[in-house]
Amino acid sequence: MTPRIKALLDFTFDRRQDALRHDADWSRLLSRFVAEGTGDMARASAGLREMLRAEGESPAFLDGERIAFTRTVRQIPELHTESEMEARRAAGTAFGEKGVVFNITADFAPTIRDGLGARLEELGARLVKARAEGDREGVEFCENAMLSAEAVLELVEKYRAAAEKRGLAEIAETLSRVPRFGARTLHEALQSLRILHFAMWCEGEYHCGLGRLDQTLLPYYEADLSSGRLDDDGALELIEEFFIACNRDSDLYIGVQQGDNGQSVMLGGVTPDGAPAFNALSRLCLKACGELKLVDPKINLRVGRDTPREIYRLGTELTAKGLGFPQYANDDVVIPALERWGYAPEDARNYTVAACWEFIIPGCGMDIDNIDAVSFPGSLDAALRGLVRDGRPPKGDAASQDARPPLTYEGVESAFLAEVQRRADALVAKYRHVEILPGPFVSILSDGCIGRARDISAGAKYNNFGIHGTGIPVAVDSLAAVRELVFEKKAVSLAGLVGLLDTDFAGRPDILAAAKAAPKMGNADPRVDEIAKRAIDFWGHAFDGRRNDRGGIFRPGTGSAMYYVWHAREIPASPDGRLSGHPFPANWAPSLDVPVKGPVSVIRSFTEPDLGLVCNGGPLTIEIHDSAFAMADGVDKVADLVRFFVMRGGHQLQINAIDRATLKDAQEHPERHRHLIVRVWGWSGYFVELDREFQDQIIRRVELAAS
Amino acid sequence: MTGRIFEIREFTLHDGPGIRTTVFLKGCPLRCPWCHNPEGLSSEIQTMTRADGSTAVCGEDWESGALADELLRNADIMAQSGGGVTFSGGEPLAQATFLCEVADILRAAGVSCAIETSGHADAPDYRAAISRMDFVYQDIKHHDPGEFRRICGGDLALVLDNYAWLRSSGVPFAVRVPCIPGVNDSPADRAALLRLVGPGVTVEFLPYHPGGESKRRMLGGRQGPM
Repeated sequence: MTPRIKALLDFTFDRRQDALRHDADWSRLLSRFVAEGTGDMARASAGLREMLRAEGESPAFLDGERIAFTRTVRQIPELHTESEMEARRAAGTAFGEKGVVFNITADFAPTIRDGLGARLEELGARLVKARAEGDREGVEFCENAMLSAEAVLELVEKYRAAAEKRGLAEIAETLSRVPRFGARTLHEALQSLRILHFAMWCEGEYHCGLGRLDQTLLPYYEADLSSGRLDDDGALELIEEFFIACNRDSDLYIGVQQGDNGQSVMLGGVTPDGAPAFNALSRLCLKACGELKLVDPKINLRVGRDTPREIYRLGTELTAKGLGFPQYANDDVVIPALERWGYAPEDARNYTVAACWEFIIPGCGMDIDNIDAVSFPGSLDAALRGLVRDGRPPKGDAASQDARPPLTYEGVESAFLAEVQRRADALVAKYRHVEILPGPFVSILSDGCIGRARDISAGAKYNNFGIHGTGIPVAVDSLAAVRELVFEKKAVSLAGLVGLLDTDFAGRPDILAAAKAAPKMGNADPRVDEIAKRAIDFWGHAFDGRRNDRGGIFRPGTGSAMYYVWHAREIPASPDGRLSGHPFPANWAPSLDVPVKGPVSVIRSFTEPDLGLVCNGGPLTIEIHDSAFAMADGVDKVADLVRFFVMRGGHQLQINAIDRATLKDAQEHPERHRHLIVRVWGWSGYFVELDREFQDQIIRRVELAAS
Repeated sequence: MTGRIFEIREFTLHDGPGIRTTVFLKGCPLRCPWCHNPEGLSSEIQTMTRADGSTAVCGEDWESGALADELLRNADIMAQSGGGVTFSGGEPLAQATFLCEVADILRAAGVSCAIETSGHADAPDYRAAISRMDFVYQDIKHHDPGEFRRICGGDLALVLDNYAWLRSSGVPFAVRVPCIPGVNDSPADRAALLRLVGPGVTVEFLPYHPGGESKRRMLGGRQGPM
């Protein structure tokens, strides 16, 4: 790392940028919108214009930086009042989260290449056509998109002028070129990307990934190398500066927890034509992350059966730094899964992750891939209670008791699956019609919006909705326990067991111990893994034939997002011996406190089901004690573990290299562990910045980490 | 035949190349005070009592075929990573016939085998087992016969005879020396030990970690009969 980069890193890590910021009060703007009855589209572009105007009042430059743009205004304008949104919800409109475009990946590459000026020209021509056709909606879109793009270019001009005034000749020169015109160099490309991404946040979009950075930037890097403008050290320095910039404003970005901001980068994999895509820039991006050790951007690495072991090794060297990434995605599973869901082959091969781990296609996916979640333990709890309630014959009615077939384990499992289906269908009904608030600027960065003269919120090539499956392993382990305790050992009746769930097994430590001792996922035990296989087969088809109003499908996944904490509060203890108040595992991972044989068996269990059916995303998370990497060949062994996961047909994997004692110490002495990074549910964050609830969950899941 | 083990641990990182499973055989002829696995010393099945009062049985009997089958469940990843199975203990050579039976099945299935041994075994047992191994971690704990007997209760000549055979056997090996403060960690001790080991040999000096203490407490301080 060069001294210049180190200085920028220290500046950012110490949050000195906060001194450059001021608060903004946008309430007058919002009141004006309400009073004037301003439409959604006009609000979006007016909000962005006002925000960028405010940003333009005091352009900020950091000592030594070459890639400019730092947020100076803390708040972005709210475009709707709570009561306006409530009224629309009450009138039957469903929204995804805040309602705006979020959790997608724009396609930055064409605009970096052609320049925002080219998009403005296209919009201008399209506006003429829309006017001629009397297409009012098209006119509204083109006008507002143009206003948005012009506002971005105005801010750039203010930065340029300010840079010139301060004698920052190189920045002024770069900003006179990009983003209005196409980038020619890696430096210009990164500056252009920085501005486009910055503007997206200012428009109100959030959790928007950076996409396949090693593909986007490759032409500029190659041009620089062949012209002799740049060598690898120079390229690394630029990438590092860009990565640091991703951490500069991230505390202003909205998330459930600090660090949950969706700034994901995808590396490697294959090109849309199917050729190997891992390149020299992929390598430099991994190296930059390893040197900087920051939480952003979150690195994802696409691999497959034919990926050279060296690439697994490069990824694992980053894991060894304790960043909780790269997160791996398996092309062998994900690409066919996306094709099966109707994605064109060239799009499927171009997948990235939206924010955490939801697979999405840059530029043409307006998927809402985390619209809601089905709680699997909640489904089981409801199913068991239903069986106990309905299975109890009316008093003195011996005849009906005889008529009822005895309840079997198979009966319990089908009741559970029926409840999962019922909840899935309820979500389909709830989200059949979803409105998305317009984002004319992000639409410029999306395929086909200008051609259609329609905002991306009106739909893109893909308009699918993703549904998480929370706590699947808890439900599966619970079913195994029900089978063993109620039907095989007959240690307790089903009604008795359900009663014990409400009291945390009070008075029956024997039943609790037996529940805990029942087979658990993570030990390559077929008695429980076969249940998981059936559950995933069912879940993978739970939305077959269902469509939303946008023509999209519903994609089931194994992710939990933050629901592993929220859904766990909705049920008392569970039959697997989990007590009330205890969280579920995050995503697709062994239940907490389950003694597992080790990571090989965990991978074996968790790759037994057909994960291609549930490719909305949702990684297996494995904790490895950080001492593993102290061994000379520790990196090779962990890399081989990742490769084993891929060979077994796993879809997505994240690895935490961690030491429980360090985490405990960090809870007690946060000031000593400001740099400690952990993987949370699909992103890496600073441990000391997490709420206690999330900290405790991580400590519990690392208790049994392989060492 | 049946053998007695006290643990099968997967993804062991210190027991050889690639991804490995280590199987710990119960029973040891030595009583090194620093032992990390005191529950492996006695050949009897024992009960360990945890600090919270709960108990765990330590020791389990396995048929050689069943144990091999269990270990072979991970044969795929072992092959992919150039790993295999490592026999440890206890002293695995204390059950040499059982060990040979398991190793034969594993090797027939193409699984690489390694062993961690004190070398404190009868020569026929030692040679039979070692000749079935792809790699050997040979412990040499002390250079002085008197000290070795006083501290560990063993016969150094037996170890050194076996070691001499190992050097001539062509089986790849490394010598491991646990460095115990005040026992064998002086420069003079090291120099003497290296002379004993001979030239051209990989020697790993392993730092001492007081890892066995909690387990010793769980065994109630008793290590049980040999």
